[in-house]
Amino acid sequence: MNLDLSEEQEMLKKTARDFLEQECPRSLVREMEQGEKGYSPELWRKMAELGWMGLVFPEEYSGMSGNFVDLIILLGEMGRALVPGPFIPTVVSSGLPIFHHGTEEQKGNFLPEIASGELIMTLALTEPSTRFDESGTEAKAQHQFTNYSISGTKLFVPYAYVADWIICVARAEEGITLFLVPAKSPGINLTVLKTIASDKQFEVVFDDVKVPTANVLGKVGDGWKIIKQIEEWSALAWCGYEVGSLQRVLEMTVSYANERIQFERPIGSFQVIQHKCADMLMDIDGARFLTYQAAWKVSQGLAASMEISMAKAWTGEASRRVCLSGHQIHAGIGLFTDYDMELYFRRAKAMELAFGEGDFHREIIAQQLGL
Amino acid sequence: MDFEFSPEEKKFKQEVHQFFQSEPELCAGFMEEWHGGEGFGPKTWALLRKLGEKHWLTPTWPKKYGGLDLPYVYYCIIQEEMSYWIGLYACIGTAMAGPVILKCGTEEQKDFYLPRIARGEIEFCLGYSEPQAGSDLANLQLRAEDKGDYYLLNGQKTFNTRCHFAQYHWLAARTSSEGPKYRGISLFIVDLKTPGISITPLMTFSGERTNDVFYDDVKVPKSSLVGEPGMGFYYIMEALAYERVTPVGAYQRLFEQLLEYIKESGKGSDPVIRQKIAQLAIELEVCKLFTLNVVSAQSKGIIPVYEANAAKIFITETEQRLANTVVNIFGLRGQLQRDSKWNVLNGMFEFIYRQSLTELIMRGTSEILRNVIAQRGLGLKRR
Ligand SMILES: Cc1cc2nc3c(=O)[nH]c(=O)nc-3n(C[C@H](O)[C@H](O)[C@H](O)COP(=O)(O)OP(=O)(O)OC[C@H]3O[C@@H](n4cnc5c(N)ncnc54)[C@H](O)[C@@H]3O)c2cc1C
Repeated sequence: MNLDLSEEQEMLKKTARDFLEQECPRSLVREMEQGEKGYSPELWRKMAELGWMGLVFPEEYSGMSGNFVDLIILLGEMGRALVPGPFIPTVVSSGLPIFHHGTEEQKGNFLPEIASGELIMTLALTEPSTRFDESGTEAKAQHQFTNYSISGTKLFVPYAYVADWIICVARAEEGITLFLVPAKSPGINLTVLKTIASDKQFEVVFDDVKVPTANVLGKVGDGWKIIKQIEEWSALAWCGYEVGSLQRVLEMTVSYANERIQFERPIGSFQVIQHKCADMLMDIDGARFLTYQAAWKVSQGLAASMEISMAKAWTGEASRRVCLSGHQIHAGIGLFTDYDMELYFRRAKAMELAFGEGDFHREIIAQQLGL
Repeated sequence: MDFEFSPEEKKFKQEVHQFFQSEPELCAGFMEEWHGGEGFGPKTWALLRKLGEKHWLTPTWPKKYGGLDLPYVYYCIIQEEMSYWIGLYACIGTAMAGPVILKCGTEEQKDFYLPRIARGEIEFCLGYSEPQAGSDLANLQLRAEDKGDYYLLNGQKTFNTRCHFAQYHWLAARTSSEGPKYRGISLFIVDLKTPGISITPLMTFSGERTNDVFYDDVKVPKSSLVGEPGMGFYYIMEALAYERVTPVGAYQRLFEQLLEYIKESGKGSDPVIRQKIAQLAIELEVCKLFTLNVVSAQSKGIIPVYEANAAKIFITETEQRLANTVVNIFGLRGQLQRDSKWNVLNGMFEFIYRQSLTELIMRGTSEILRNVIAQRGLGLKRR
């Protein structure tokens, strides 16, 4: 029993922090909110050079053979810097399922390109019902000779505009199936959604999009098992990202509270402020431990559904409490866009909603408890 | 990183688990005495002696004082099991007085007290709080005058739990009124049978006994002093950090019992109840992880001050929420007490709903501990 990071993990963390402090200033984050792409190809390339996109894939696919804990460490640093872009959609929501369920050919085609940063991918799962369970998938995939024809409307598809490939979830005659679809296929129509975090989520309409049968990921009709894994991995990845963000929010808040003088004393010396900060710390520690425990279980190949749901429910709700306190302590100045607080506040909500908020995950926990 | 115990540690946990499982009568007798509010009675002493025979009360101590020289994590495993089976997880002697004696006591003190603590034969009670010294412990006034060949003690302690059955008072007294208040405090071990000491009961509304203790011209030998004179406050603070390790076994057991009840009563299909139970499960998991974090740090020889405080706050506040949630799930029947007709799970949660208030206050109030987290953990300025 030991909750410490290993030496290599400490190194990874430090390298990532130093690199991102240099390469991903908050000005870049704001710029990306305005731009069309929502990410910086230059930063993306440099991150790939550091091996980050291949972190969790084996060396035979040009990866670094890291595990899920390593990934969470890296994501924490990305969350701290609010790195914008399709990292989680590409590596976690697409790369991992290809690695675990793809054919040799699919793995060979996709993974090295993901690792090298050449390939951006995303997941088209959610539909207008916004349900995360099986019944939420109504898009149809019709088998026609050597092709499938996919039709349906997908929402909240991250970075669809810059993606090269989309994993689309649709209902074939045999049941839920995952398809690897080139993002520029005829019949695909994109509309950017205006979101709280300006984080480039899209409506993607598939209108009779033709995909060869070889592009099925996993078994036809057996896709829901994979989706559940993707949902779990992605939820956990977002927890890792958010834990890093929240740590930064607390640091900003504490240093502001120590600097800001009112009534001839630093506001941080007022107990009401101190106690809010203490609560922020406990919220964040809770999120961090739950997230690391779940990631550790995943890395050991142990069942982690319950732990992941615990991490996601807690982290989502803690992120709201922490950001609210951060804002309250910054007061007026925190509401302006030349200050970073609001960036974290908006993203916390996006994160909380992604892959299930508290009630959704509590229901999973209740089931896991045998209720 | 490893969130699980090693195979040897797991084996040990299993052994401790089986020990308690095989002693249902002693455990039940213990619970009866303990929850009766009077503290240690014959059954408790019998159980402690059994644990002492196995050296499980003080597994980290050197063998010559009755320990097993085991790493810290073994102590935590025992504490978790004790908490799970009987609710009590530490004695004052084993957890607070003993470690300070081990570190700062004289050879005579070590030889005289430590083996008996380890065997489960004696208990100490904490003599810190006074009417004018609660959270502001440094304000304590009970005087210890150096009379050359003895100390003369005069004053009053309050809320000193366990004094009516313990043999020794772990007493903080003022030996000097010069300089900062906290620099004039010294620690003593006082035999509670010494003439001039009187103990009167105070009962909380959850039926737990604590005491007022009066010192009226009490003479104690010079050898009663622990460590250096004037250093008492520092020893107390260090020992408090140890005392703030809060096992969660007892809460896990309650949760298991609750879950069983929910399943059997058919309430488990109610979506609101499902949400509430799941939320409790999450919070208990966070409790467990806070504790593991403290254990992980202490295993490396670090005294994790803010982490231990965070654990104490979060765990005790969770206990209160747990009790409240469960009482509300029971609805009107939630108010029914232990011996009442129609009660649910023998009124256990009604009792905990009251008793959990003590935990929020003892061992440092939630407010004081938040101050420590903010100032020492986060570096917020004091003024
Ligand atoms: C059942 C029980 C058993 C106990 N057993 C023992 C024992 O065995 N031995 C022993 O020595 N003591 C014991 N205590 C005493 C316990 O340690 C004290 O009650 C505790 O330290 C708080 O002191 P107080 O009750 O005087 O409250 P006070 O210190 O008067 O506090 C009152 C309120 O003011 C707040 N407050 C005080 N100072 C500050 C501050 N600086 N910042 C913010 N808020 C502040 C507190 O948080 C609290 O909300 C026991 C208490 C109880 C209830």
